[in-house]
Amino acid sequence: MDSYNFHWNVVWDAFPQLLGGAFTTLHVSVLSMLVGIVAAVFLALGKMSNSKILSFLSSIWIELSRNTPALFLIYMAYFGLGAYGIHLSPYLSVFAALVFVNGGYLAETFRGGFQSIPPTQYNAARSLGMNSVQAYRHIILPQMFRRIYHPMTNQFIWSILMSSLGILVGMNDLSGETQRLQSSSFRTLEFFIVAAAMYYVIAKLVLFAAHLVSKRVFKGELS
Amino acid sequence: MNLFTPISWNDAGFILTGVLNTVYISVIAIFFGTILGLVLGFARAEGNKIVNMCLGGVLDILKSVPLIIQLILFSTFIGAMGYPLEPFVAGSIILSLYTMAFMVEVFRSGFDNVPAATKKAARSLGMSYWQTVRHISIPIGMRSVLPSWIGVGLSVIKDSALVSVIGYMELLRTAEQLISRSQQAVMILVGVGLFYFLISYPLSLYGKYIERKMTR
Amino acid sequence: MKLVKKISMVVASMAAIGALSTANADALDTVIERGALNCGVVLDFPPMGYTDKDNQPAGFDVDYCNDLAEALGVKSNVINLTWADRIPSLISSKTDVVIGSTSDTLERAKSVGFTYPYFVFKFQVLSKKGVEIDSFDDLKNVKVGAAIGTTYETEYFKYADEKGWGRDNYTSFKSENDAFLGLYQGKIDALVSTNTNIATKLASGQFDDFVAGPYVPNYDDVVGIIAKRDEIAWINYLNLFLIHQVRDGKLNDLHVKHFGSPVSEDMVKALIENR
Repeated sequence: MDSYNFHWNVVWDAFPQLLGGAFTTLHVSVLSMLVGIVAAVFLALGKMSNSKILSFLSSIWIELSRNTPALFLIYMAYFGLGAYGIHLSPYLSVFAALVFVNGGYLAETFRGGFQSIPPTQYNAARSLGMNSVQAYRHIILPQMFRRIYHPMTNQFIWSILMSSLGILVGMNDLSGETQRLQSSSFRTLEFFIVAAAMYYVIAKLVLFAAHLVSKRVFKGELS
Repeated sequence: MNLFTPISWNDAGFILTGVLNTVYISVIAIFFGTILGLVLGFARAEGNKIVNMCLGGVLDILKSVPLIIQLILFSTFIGAMGYPLEPFVAGSIILSLYTMAFMVEVFRSGFDNVPAATKKAARSLGMSYWQTVRHISIPIGMRSVLPSWIGVGLSVIKDSALVSVIGYMELLRTAEQLISRSQQAVMILVGVGLFYFLISYPLSLYGKYIERKMTR
Repeated sequence: MKLVKKISMVVASMAAIGALSTANADALDTVIERGALNCGVVLDFPPMGYTDKDNQPAGFDVDYCNDLAEALGVKSNVINLTWADRIPSLISSKTDVVIGSTSDTLERAKSVGFTYPYFVFKFQVLSKKGVEIDSFDDLKNVKVGAAIGTTYETEYFKYADEKGWGRDNYTSFKSENDAFLGLYQGKIDALVSTNTNIATKLASGQFDDFVAGPYVPNYDDVVGIIAKRDEIAWINYLNLFLIHQVRDGKLNDLHVKHFGSPVSEDMVKALIENR
């Protein structure tokens, strides 16, 4: 390291800005996850429905989101839509792309979770005198939720990491603020090391929170 | 001075270079990621707690820091240490390690899937430890991981787009340069998306097909 | 004992030679020995740097790279950078030198070495026709943008913060090109960039619906060539190179080639005074 001397005080001075960026990162990933879950439920239902059109439309969304890079989708939302006069802010472009991808991936997760529960269980519940809602409420959904919980946590982590692509459309998230700060101060290594550590901490905190929730909800029996 | 020029057939070669560069770096990352992932996956499945803790910690970092930050940090850091690397080389290294982090889990679960009884039976037939690994664990364990392996491979092809941030002229960066020159964002972007889709979709169909065949 | 002493002496002297030879190989020697100059240029900043219709680098900065390589007697190897890539590329030794219109702020000079100035820009506003921007203060009411981490972004923020505008109407872009594409598409009503880039864009015919507006008040953007901070001998050479560019008339030739007019006396005076 003969040509590089670390100047950490520049980073500490800019720490509030980095924290603000981290908040935006968390904000966009939580929101895109929540909306993505709603979208995924509809997509999964659509894909499994008997209507050919619904199933086809859901498939298009699902396959497009799973088979194109997130970076491409963000560009598309930003400059692609922009060419037609639809102007999303950097935040909204990243948000829209993340919702699109989360929806597509989670739809397949939900569908897999649902199909992994044998139909005989539903029949058995009904024969025990439960009505349809009760059978879903007490038998099918709890099992399904247990199975999809882990993939959902992974998807959430993925959202946090991928929101860093906001750097490429000038979003003011953690990576964007890092880029701005390193560019005006020229302390590249310091700022990116701190950003990496902050992403790591955020990911760990989310995993820890997910672990606590699963303990409460499933009493430790995750499949 | 011709600042803005529409896209023409002259650009076909330029785009093709971008396409090939995307393919190169993806193939390299998948190749090395698989080999390293196989070795470390085996170590995780068979190793003791300490091995697992050390490996787990490193892999955890690779999986919890955005790829884009890893790329910038590594390429800057290694240069500051006095070993400047071509964007292609630096990108290949990080993308391979990133792939490895996910492949390890894939292979580890494959090895874990081999029933202990089968391995014991092989040992009692007189096979050595490594013979058991070679003839029992790898063939049986690997068969079950093919769908997840394809899944990781697909995400690597898509993630290779990020290597553009350290200056590698892959497909998306080529496209960006053409957009700047022609201001025709939509046409170029759609073409790029189509390319990724055409590579990725058939592979994902194949993965699903194998998965269905195996569960049956 | 004698043997040990002898061996340790040999080792010590070898280490000393090793240290000497690495210490001697400064950037100037490295470039000459390599026979090629890795010269970083920001290629989305016309007419200083851009790509021509064959997707090859071109522009004022690119020609400066070529002149420098010629002076050194080596091959010129132009490397395409974004604004934010400039420092990482130097630190990681991907480039020996960056001729990329880098504003010589004292903050940045803590991290990299600057040469004498080689160009002076004005920061200017470019806006859509119909969006009335007579003075810099009118930016408050429109959507405005610039490339992230640039000096004009910093200057805009400083101005906006002083006036208490807030930053809600501001959008940053990854690169200069993205900012112009954003303006072209209508994402923003006005952008801040340099007078040279704006003049070039206006002359291209692609931006006929846009007009150049006011300058950022009381600000001259003085830019230098950058290299690693500790490469004193190298920076020394670069300084002399810049003096020769002015003295030999190369600066004037290139100004005519890329801006269509001879270099102004004000600029030459500013370059000399800022030395």
